[in-house]
Amino acid sequence: MENREQSHTDQIERWAKFVRDNPNWREQFKKFSDGQIIMARRVYKRLAETEEGRRKIKLLRARE
Amino acid sequence: MKRGISDKTILETFTEDFCAIVEKHCKYIICSGFVAIAHGRSRATEDIDMIIEKLSIEKFVKLHNDLIKASFECMQSPDAEKIFEDYLNRKVSVRYTRKGEFLPEMEVKFAKDKLDEEQLETRTKLEFTGLDVYFSSIESNIAFKEELLGANKDLEDARHLRIIYEGKINEEKINKIKEQIKRYRYGK
Repeated sequence: MENREQSHTDQIERWAKFVRDNPNWREQFKKFSDGQIIMARRVYKRLAETEEGRRKIKLLRARE
Repeated sequence: MKRGISDKTILETFTEDFCAIVEKHCKYIICSGFVAIAHGRSRATEDIDMIIEKLSIEKFVKLHNDLIKASFECMQSPDAEKIFEDYLNRKVSVRYTRKGEFLPEMEVKFAKDKLDEEQLETRTKLEFTGLDVYFSSIESNIAFKEELLGANKDLEDARHLRIIYEGKINEEKINKIKEQIKRYRYGK
């Protein structure tokens, strides 16, 4: 296993054990989880305001 | 475990609000990535997977109208009959968001085989999440991620759940579901 993969696996285990063993894990997690959605929404909002934005959003949101 | 609104994430609040409406109309389960994320798995997702029991068109129209009343909208079409005929009834999923928001999305599909129906029958609330939502069982989620999905993120989700539920997981049940996956999804 490459070093990056090993350190990634270690991180996943370390965090899972933290969640399992610390009831206050949600405080850290909420900021992380909400932050991603807030950032993505900001991007879509800015895109929607540009001339080509709506078309680009359609492309970004296109599914099979 | 009772939780206040303030400590719930955007994904969790969206999921609980959506599920509260669906529950009035039919059986559903939340499965796949959000199960791991609701257990603290630190990765992003923009959609939550929901399987609902197969409904008649009349029942689906009522469900859809209730979702619209609650300010959700379907990305595929505003027309409930079209959603039913062109998508759900053809085993294609549809996506709902809060009106005017691009994400998160609830990806909704009908149960398509005995495996999905069994997941609906054995659905459960998972106390660890503190959410008032029905999930497919932990064993089922692990089995699907390890046997059927298999991408890195899925295997990492399964690993995360195995650590959270260490000593509480029924391996026999996981193996049985993996056998069913082979039979119903791979035709083995």
